[in-house]
Amino acid sequence: MARDRFIPEIHVWRLAFLWLAMLACFGALTLRLWNLQVAQSTEYQRRLAKQSLRSVRLPGIRGRVLDRNGVRLADNRPSYCVSLYLEELRKAGNVQRTVDNVMEALYRIAETMDRPLPLRPQDVRLHLGRRTPLPLVAWRDLDETAVARFIEHAGEFPGAELTVEPVRVYPQTNLACHLLGYVGRADLEKLPDAAADGEPEKYHYYLPEMAGKSGLEKRLDGVLRAHAGGKLEIQVDVAGFKFDEVSSRAPGHGGDVTLALDARIQRAAEAVLAGQRGAAVVIDPRNGDVLALASAPGFDPNDFVPAVSAAIWNRLLHDPTRPLYNRATGGEYAPGSTFKPVTLLAALHAGAVAADTRFTCPGYFDLGSARFRCWQHWGHGSIDLQAAIRYSCNVYLFHSALAAGPEAVQAMARAVGFGRKTDVCLDFERAGLVPDDAWKRAARRDGWRDGDTCNLAIGQGALLVTPIQLAMYAATLANGGTLWKPRLVRQIASAGGAANEIAAEPAPNGPRWEPQHVRVVREGMRDAVNQPDGSGKRAMLPNVVVAAKTGTAEYGVKGAGRKMTWMIAFAPFEEPRYAVALLVEDGVSGGTTAAPRMKQLLAQTFREVDGLDMPPVEPLPSVPPPTPDPGAAPAVAAEEPA
Amino acid sequence: MNKRVQTWVRFLTAQDGLAILLAAGLLGAGLTFIYSASWRGEETGIVGAWFSKQIWWAALGAAVALALAATDYKVWIRHAGWLYLASLALLALVFVPGIGRKVYGAYRWLVILGVPVQPSEFAKVSTVLLLARVLASPVLQRRSFGTVLLALGLMALPFGLILEEPDLGTAMVLVPTTLCMLFAAGCALRYLIGLGLLGAGGIAVALSPLAKLFLDDYQHERIATFLDPSRDPLGSGWNALQSAIAVGSGGFSGKGFLNGTQNVLGFLPRTVSPTDFIFPVIAEETGFIGASVLLLAFAALLTCYLRTAWTAQDPAGSLLATGIAGLLFCHVFVNVGMTIGLLPITGLPLPFVSSGGSFMVSTLAGFGLVQSVHVRRMRREV
Repeated sequence: MARDRFIPEIHVWRLAFLWLAMLACFGALTLRLWNLQVAQSTEYQRRLAKQSLRSVRLPGIRGRVLDRNGVRLADNRPSYCVSLYLEELRKAGNVQRTVDNVMEALYRIAETMDRPLPLRPQDVRLHLGRRTPLPLVAWRDLDETAVARFIEHAGEFPGAELTVEPVRVYPQTNLACHLLGYVGRADLEKLPDAAADGEPEKYHYYLPEMAGKSGLEKRLDGVLRAHAGGKLEIQVDVAGFKFDEVSSRAPGHGGDVTLALDARIQRAAEAVLAGQRGAAVVIDPRNGDVLALASAPGFDPNDFVPAVSAAIWNRLLHDPTRPLYNRATGGEYAPGSTFKPVTLLAALHAGAVAADTRFTCPGYFDLGSARFRCWQHWGHGSIDLQAAIRYSCNVYLFHSALAAGPEAVQAMARAVGFGRKTDVCLDFERAGLVPDDAWKRAARRDGWRDGDTCNLAIGQGALLVTPIQLAMYAATLANGGTLWKPRLVRQIASAGGAANEIAAEPAPNGPRWEPQHVRVVREGMRDAVNQPDGSGKRAMLPNVVVAAKTGTAEYGVKGAGRKMTWMIAFAPFEEPRYAVALLVEDGVSGGTTAAPRMKQLLAQTFREVDGLDMPPVEPLPSVPPPTPDPGAAPAVAAEEPA
Repeated sequence: MNKRVQTWVRFLTAQDGLAILLAAGLLGAGLTFIYSASWRGEETGIVGAWFSKQIWWAALGAAVALALAATDYKVWIRHAGWLYLASLALLALVFVPGIGRKVYGAYRWLVILGVPVQPSEFAKVSTVLLLARVLASPVLQRRSFGTVLLALGLMALPFGLILEEPDLGTAMVLVPTTLCMLFAAGCALRYLIGLGLLGAGGIAVALSPLAKLFLDDYQHERIATFLDPSRDPLGSGWNALQSAIAVGSGGFSGKGFLNGTQNVLGFLPRTVSPTDFIFPVIAEETGFIGASVLLLAFAALLTCYLRTAWTAQDPAGSLLATGIAGLLFCHVFVNVGMTIGLLPITGLPLPFVSSGGSFMVSTLAGFGLVQSVHVRRMRREV
């Protein structure tokens, strides 16, 4: 049947329909293209930028800390690390998939470098949960072999990169640890104002940056921290190779800081304090330079880089000797007899005594019903002012202080810097305390009594000073009356290289001493060392005339016999270059515990710094082991003198 | 004038000039962007010399096209059966160890005289030729379901063999092409609609877990990833995602020649950017303007093909042109569709533009066949 036959013909309308259908399909494609390329283009451009641009914030290289002779106290060394960019290894879906992926990558890299796996899955998970903008540093401090192996196979590890991390090192280990402080990982949120530094709002990744956490590292963080805070935008290809550095800015260098410190003196100071709890501060009396500032025991700041381990931290924190605590600036102690020159200068200044005024010391002093004893129970006899210093006679001091009046002594104590911070550039500095009537009424609900004046006269009672205050005061005695501000930092080199000298600066409201008054006190101190019956004779040195004053302050429960033993000294006598305050906690007495240490410290200094011929190092007298009483470590001065 | 010369002049003037212009333009665009997609790779020695190879293949294809255009297509229609059998034999040869070559886990290549060729490309054209011959045959029952079955059966043999290689994309192209030809041949609409519904059902099944019974894992994964490219951004979803990023980030006017970062940095894998993913390269570097001009060129070329089908001398020529148009359409639509996330990634190249020897020759052979039909058209132009 003809109508059932397939009549071959060209069906024009069907062709037209096909044509229109095809055009409609192409129209759909075009619509989709419009949607992608015009409507959503920004979104795709953002995604493109995210995957091909890896902008990484590179921390700058922290400035170095040098001693006055350029010895490196804090420096940096490069550490080769393999870091993983977790965002790039992210898998969709459950976090566990990403963790597995990262672990697999780690495993393969570990195999290639022939290194143990550095991280556990929970570490990866933790990092993912906390700080994806930080690359996960898997290996640190890789040696050359491992680095070479990694580079050889780098293409096989997308999302992993070899990074060089500047690591803070303290080449002198424990030396001046309290002063230098230490660094720790910087808080991302607390990074310095990025916008002001020309940095973009946000990087994709942040390499760990170090920030000062204590000591000078913290105080001078703004100087040491590299301002330029390097920025680098890297275009990476699919394998993670750096393809192009779109715009890079080399990480900057922080400013170098040159301290007034002399590493040789610092080392000597730490050596004489070895095994003890105590502090030693050496000042240049000509300008207030802090030549040494030691506190014992100490710690190794290298343990804090890049992060302190829990074990070490706990040990440091719970050690009853408190190694993290800077006794030199933060410890408040009764100065004991080292305070006596203040009392005498006050009395001289007030005209209450003269250099030739004599008092008789029978070994005790009765004030009403109370009897104050001289340390030498059989007394010193009739002595003048210079001898009173030489023998450290308490009775002479009671007479002088009562004659001058407490206000004069308190004023003189404040004038030499007690009771206020020295503003040395360190945290946790304490001001100490110069007790007066107002203080006593507030703290003890009692008025000032003559007994208080007697205690004050010999540096006991509520009087508290810090070792650095005492050192500054020793320097003032040494130079004849100029109280300096301690100068810890001599020079700050900015990142550009311009050096900024810090000028020596006298402290405000220093003392005004008559030259003849100081002379007699200084001579008393000279005699204390250089006369065979002087209280500080164990500090005597050949070739150099040392002047010093010992101090022994009882503290804690009365009669427990716990003593802070002191010596302040300056030398050479005629033109002093060094003024020292030295403290040993729980020593026997200033003359037997502190003086030999002072001698050794000065001998070491004169030998190494000035090239003088000095006696060899002798074994230091041992100190009985302290009764453990950590609560009382920062001294609480006794109510009554011995 | 010499009669021989007269014949040539007539032959040349009878060509579809617009189609030639369009094809040449597309070839030029292809070469240009293959260069863009591969220069970085060549510099680093990762990828072979795509660009120079492509020039040779385009030249060979042009020669084949010229030869086919000069020959009467009826010769090829007449011998379509033999060509079809030969192509089936070649497809089968792919699986013979030692002759077939395995690339990326698929037997798609035969090595002839040291040159790898894809028999599936030859099979596509020969199947269209045979279908044109069969569907234009006056002995067939009109509107009978048998006709549909016969056409589908003829298509099913190469389809099955190509699917077995496996080359899902190329195999799938045969189905809509056959349907186009059936439709143009005047097949009853109810069968075609029925087939369409069946096809939709098939796709639905393919997406269901049931599909694992008969689809390879990679095929199932691709279809599933199509639905959600972020499902596996580093695995099979990678290309889809990177391709969409390339296209999208191109914006309205593109990033400029050789400036496409997706392509240059290898986020679009260098092994596929000159072949199946040449479109994102173009779209990234020339933006919406370039990409839509490219689509417009393809639409115009399709229009030329269908005009040839309309003006053809006989139904066989018309169906031949329709079939070739169907192939062209399927390739363009599936290729562009997959790179912009409308269709699953199937690994189908873009005609005239993508790099690839056999495919270039088969595309140009198809073009030559259509030209042959066009040259011998009936004079009924509007």
